[in-house]
Amino acid sequence: MSNEVKTKEKVNMDPKYIIKLTVTLFATCVIVAGLLGLVNMVTKDKIAAINWENTQTAMKAVVADPDNTEFSEALENTDAMSAAAKAAGGTLDSVYEVLVGGENAGYAIKVVASGSQGNIEMMVGVDAEGVVTGVSIVDNSETSGIGSKVMSNEPLSSGVGVLDQFQGKSAAADGTLTVGKNVDAISGATVSSKGVTAGVNAALAVAGAIG
Amino acid sequence: MNLKKQFKEGLLTQNPVLVQVLGMCSTMAITTSFFNGLGMGLAVTVILTLSNVIISAIRKIVPDKIRIAMFIVVIAGFVTMVDLFLQAFVPALAASLGVFIPLIVVNCIILGRAEAFSYKNGVAASFFDGIFQGIGYTLVLLAMCIIRELLGAGTFGGGIFGVDGKGIRIIPAQFPAGMLTLPVGGFLVLACLIAAMQWALSRPKKNKEESK
Repeated sequence: MSNEVKTKEKVNMDPKYIIKLTVTLFATCVIVAGLLGLVNMVTKDKIAAINWENTQTAMKAVVADPDNTEFSEALENTDAMSAAAKAAGGTLDSVYEVLVGGENAGYAIKVVASGSQGNIEMMVGVDAEGVVTGVSIVDNSETSGIGSKVMSNEPLSSGVGVLDQFQGKSAAADGTLTVGKNVDAISGATVSSKGVTAGVNAALAVAGAIG
Repeated sequence: MNLKKQFKEGLLTQNPVLVQVLGMCSTMAITTSFFNGLGMGLAVTVILTLSNVIISAIRKIVPDKIRIAMFIVVIAGFVTMVDLFLQAFVPALAASLGVFIPLIVVNCIILGRAEAFSYKNGVAASFFDGIFQGIGYTLVLLAMCIIRELLGAGTFGGGIFGVDGKGIRIIPAQFPAGMLTLPVGGFLVLACLIAAMQWALSRPKKNKEESK
């Protein structure tokens, strides 16, 4: 006990030593932060370009005619759009305008829905009439071999891919999409199927909130 | 400085994974395909070597009381740099290693070597310590990757070779035990490797004792 007190006093007694510690650590942090700033400057544009390319690939997968389609930069997310996505059971990430020949032909909407193991990030294409043109999964952590069947678009018993079944559906004609009613689930992967459905509902709600 | 001794220590007698039993998290988590193991091993080797050199170079001006904090700042700096470079130039690897690159900051191999070696030794010796310990780590990762991939998925060289980088199929798809690519397989394979290593390391000593 007496030893502990002694060592404590030793440190406290010398303010110069404490200042030295602080200054050394602070200086190191400043130098490291400066170097990181430099590295960030070199890599920032490159990383942004790669992310944009990945986003574009995902968007191309959900439009009707990928070769003649261009995409705008991400639109600004308004409160109405975010609220619409939330009410439908998903979270809005970003919205991109789909341009065919420079004209607006709908939106590619990136939403996050919760699956059985975590978040499912997905891209949903919606045309100008509010009809789904395609669904693709950007990132997920569903159970390999079960929920992953939904993510990899395995065929349902009807032969249509589980993600492809959303094509042609719209909020106007089908109302809220529900597993068991107007959406089929992969057996054993109901939660993942429901997650994807919630994502599509959210995307349709967002599309409605834009136009 | 004794290069030969350091080399032997890094790869065998003081192997970071099999003997010091450091850095277990990443060892279990990422060793499911050849590409992952190689990438993680190289990333750790680079970071370990750089941080060893810097820590050794500044060891005389680092006050004893805050040395761990200083080590962590230096290590975190290098890890962030490597993370940014990987994202910019090897996006496929960055995507498949995911959060385990930033987590190298808390990989105890690096802090362990900083405290145990480079804080007490010269720059050149610390440089080689980083390289040899890194190689030792990489080799164990590769061994685990090869075993788990072969028995768990039936392929070799996943991420690099084969169609779409899916690896070269050696065992037909219906036979492999998928369990081995799950965390439980990581524990089993690592345990077997550690056991084999301990057996191999203890053997010569026994022989010598017997011959006496």
